[in-house]
Amino acid sequence: MKQLLASFVLIATVAAACGGGAAAPSATPAAAASATARPASAAPTATPKPVRVGLVTDVGGLNDKSFNTLANQGRLDAEKDLGVQTSVVESKKQEDYVPNLTTFAQQGYDLVISVGFLMTNATWKVAKQFPNIKFGIIDGAPANDKGDTENLPNVSNLFFAEQEAGYLVGVIAATMAKDKVGAATHNTVCAMGGIPIPPVDKYIAGYQDAVKTVSPTTTILNGYSNDFVDQQKGKEVGLNHIGKGCDILFQVAGGSGLGYITAAKEKGVYAIGVDSDQADVAPGTVITSALKRVNKAVYDTAKAVKDGKFVAGDQLFNAANDGVGYGKLAAIVPAGAKAAADQALADIKSGKVKPKTALQVK
Amino acid sequence: MAATPPAGPSAPPARRPARSWVEGPAIPAASVLIALVLGAAFVLVSGNDPVAAYAALARGAFGTPYDVTETLIIAIPLTLGGLSVAIAFRTGLFNIGAQSQLLVGAVATGFVGVRFADLPGPLLMPLVILTGIVAGGAWGALAGWLKATRGVNEVITTIMQNYTVVFVMHWLLQNGPMSAPNALGTPASARIGDGAVLPVVIPAALIPLTRLHAGILLAALAVVAFWFILFRTTLGYELRAVGLGPRAAAQAGIDPKRGMVLGMFVAGGFAGLAGMVQVSGVFQRVYDGFSAGYGFDAIAVALLGKNSPIGIVLAALLFGAFARGGTIMQSNAHISSNLVAVIEALVLFVIAAETVFRELARRRTTEKTA
Amino acid sequence: MTWDMLVGAAVLAATLRLATPILLAALGGVVSERSGVTNIALEGSMLVGAFFGVLAADRSHSIVVALAVAVAAGTALAALHAVAAIHFRSDQIVSGMALNILALGLTSYLDYQLYGTTGTPSDLPGIPDLPLGALERVPFLGALAGDQSVMVWVALGLVVLLQLFLFRTVPGLRLRAVGEHPRAADTVGIAVRRTRYWAVLTSGALAALGGAYLSLSVAHSFTDDMVGGRGFIGLAAMIFGRWTPTGALIASLIFGYGGALSTSLQGATIGDVRVPVQLLSTLPYVLTVLAVAGFVGRSRPPAADGVPYEHEGH
Repeated sequence: MKQLLASFVLIATVAAACGGGAAAPSATPAAAASATARPASAAPTATPKPVRVGLVTDVGGLNDKSFNTLANQGRLDAEKDLGVQTSVVESKKQEDYVPNLTTFAQQGYDLVISVGFLMTNATWKVAKQFPNIKFGIIDGAPANDKGDTENLPNVSNLFFAEQEAGYLVGVIAATMAKDKVGAATHNTVCAMGGIPIPPVDKYIAGYQDAVKTVSPTTTILNGYSNDFVDQQKGKEVGLNHIGKGCDILFQVAGGSGLGYITAAKEKGVYAIGVDSDQADVAPGTVITSALKRVNKAVYDTAKAVKDGKFVAGDQLFNAANDGVGYGKLAAIVPAGAKAAADQALADIKSGKVKPKTALQVK
Repeated sequence: MAATPPAGPSAPPARRPARSWVEGPAIPAASVLIALVLGAAFVLVSGNDPVAAYAALARGAFGTPYDVTETLIIAIPLTLGGLSVAIAFRTGLFNIGAQSQLLVGAVATGFVGVRFADLPGPLLMPLVILTGIVAGGAWGALAGWLKATRGVNEVITTIMQNYTVVFVMHWLLQNGPMSAPNALGTPASARIGDGAVLPVVIPAALIPLTRLHAGILLAALAVVAFWFILFRTTLGYELRAVGLGPRAAAQAGIDPKRGMVLGMFVAGGFAGLAGMVQVSGVFQRVYDGFSAGYGFDAIAVALLGKNSPIGIVLAALLFGAFARGGTIMQSNAHISSNLVAVIEALVLFVIAAETVFRELARRRTTEKTA
Repeated sequence: MTWDMLVGAAVLAATLRLATPILLAALGGVVSERSGVTNIALEGSMLVGAFFGVLAADRSHSIVVALAVAVAAGTALAALHAVAAIHFRSDQIVSGMALNILALGLTSYLDYQLYGTTGTPSDLPGIPDLPLGALERVPFLGALAGDQSVMVWVALGLVVLLQLFLFRTVPGLRLRAVGEHPRAADTVGIAVRRTRYWAVLTSGALAALGGAYLSLSVAHSFTDDMVGGRGFIGLAAMIFGRWTPTGALIASLIFGYGGALSTSLQGATIGDVRVPVQLLSTLPYVLTVLAVAGFVGRSRPPAADGVPYEHEGH
């Protein structure tokens, strides 16, 4: 009896799938059990097959207002400007990475991009199984099961020089702190990371390097929210830092960092955003943002695949190729700070200045 | 006030045993169907195509043999977690802490799997299996012990344990004692020895790319063990007696305190095994923050499955299908995978109304006889 | 490590801020369970309160409307639970779990549909702070209480109100009677089901206030799953506090204190050894278990808690 009913439920849902398949608007290809991949379209034909690009985010979620949002933006831009078909999947658990990537690969997508350093091993696994499909990893290189980096001919490792972006905003922060601009009266700046991992710490390292270079007398504070999502935690760290005199708060903690910015807003001091331009998050409070043009990486890679110019291995997005930068400046930022930042940008491009990647204040 | 059976979240009253599943499998099955219909209405109302949504959902869950194996991979820890929560319920305890027991089992597995990486499979595999079970069991038993000796409600303890373990894992794996330098770019332990890896059980020739690992066998064994322990051993008898209340336990000559500790140990053991399976079968190392949410889903699985072995397996398959199908639904039909949670909730909610049907049935029979 | 890090005004002020959402959820739990209905869907009520509060704030630009809508949403969710638990006499744990899952899925889904990937707007009206002018100049108290959110004071006021209501008024006595001996209460003429309905609805309203506090006072935005388990911690606080409002307050404060410490002790050293940040974060949870084990021990819920009532005769 119970077997009958259970089977009934299963049959019903499968029947719905078969029946609905014909009416499904988006292209759900016939179930392919084998890993056949469609080659990336190279030479233009009379009706060129659209290039399909898939994005798999990590467990952060799409509306973190920074990292994943930017990657998604790049995808949307590519869809609009390049005429590629795109799709995005949010992973809910780390267990989802491999199946999510595999799903895109099995459906014959031309390019599959993993958004985040958590997916290095998963991407390695799937890229190995689908050598004809191109992959991209943001913030990482494929890592094999032993935990070592192993570059693959079909994977593009999209790295960013976060320390350069951190340096640029650090210059602005230090200049304002040194000159006691506006509400920045205590000559103290600070930063908060999510957790102490390289992509986070590199930002802060560059920031600290700039502050120590431009204004060695400025006090630097550092902290972590231990969370990339909870805003209350970020806000508490922010209030704690402000209580210790910090006037310029640099957030490197995704969603939790938004709480850090809120603390600055409530106390009438300043904040610096991260990854995307967060000026709109708290106008007047956010004086600039450390930009990591993840959208550019997604867009450029999609374009490369479309044009048949895909390049595997390490790709560095840095100041020299406009991969990082600093964001919109608030009105309070003095012209001198902007000039200093522009000078620093030029110096980094020319190689004269190499921002440090190791923290000096932990 | 005479001694009354503990009520509230610690001893949910209507947790009846397997018979009700046999009696009323129609109810859970019907609930699923009703919930799917309500879910379709919801999709429609929010401006999307329900047919496309469900087509993608089903295709993701069972469209190809590969998809089926992916659904099974999710169902494995859900089954084990469900067994964990269910056996606690049978003992009259609410094990919200299955997640932390899972993680403790996982961390212990990772530790032993790395420390003794050079041992051959026939030695290392049983060792890590045992480690996962015992570690998870001990952690669960702690909650049981606190309740038995100090009267600390296990809901409090297990919720607190959930958070504590997450942060201890952060400490262990983020440049801590268990972290291994690696290029993974993310906090993780070293790789466990080959002897501790659960192999893929389906040959690649049959289903290419499948990752279905031997954990499925462990899960199957666990289901049998659950049934056996609960219905064929004195321990199980003890646990069930304690679950019926202190008076019943006293009448059966059983010390409820002992029952609580043992019950939570067994519950923790199942959850710890789930953690072990995730490390051995899916990742081959311990990642900070992995396996999020299985413990919470396990509660829903146990409730939907009415704490019976078959019910839990079916419920785990259903939730696994939803989880897997939800992803495809998002990538193909462009509908947020959160819709799946709405449907799951509706399923549970309709299940909760099961008593209505019972009531109606009962009233009908009493009216007939009147 | 300094004394200031442990008991400074800033730490205690943070304690209040962190305790407030938990306290509101716990108070909701107390009211519901005292009437005999187990409501574990507090987390869900908090979450819908948080989301719909933000949605209403966005559309109406009025904090009053926003709070009203938030409360309505939380109450509506609780109403579903009330109907299931009281009218249909269904399993209260199942119903509660279902509603939590529903709230999470629903709010995440709607958040995605309405605010896509840009997130909620940054200019939402917020719950105002209550600057206590004269108090602000007082050395310790000023920093502690001089400028807290209105909601913090509302929560504290509710503790007093509910404590008085439950233990010093006739309606409160009736509510407790319904939770302890529903049959006796029924015989004496107390409307058991109606009382329970009111209690459950109130619990949803209180939890929703906690959620609205998070989204409209702390974060000024909504992000998926932003309640992050505080509803469950509230349940723990309720149990810890022996199902009384003042007990819930003490429990929530201990909890909030642990959280405040984990922030203030960042970077602190004992001698030369750094206190590891991640382990610090376990403080609130470990403290709670120790407190319950050490000082509270066995606590008994209302006798008829979680047991559906069968009205005989009709």
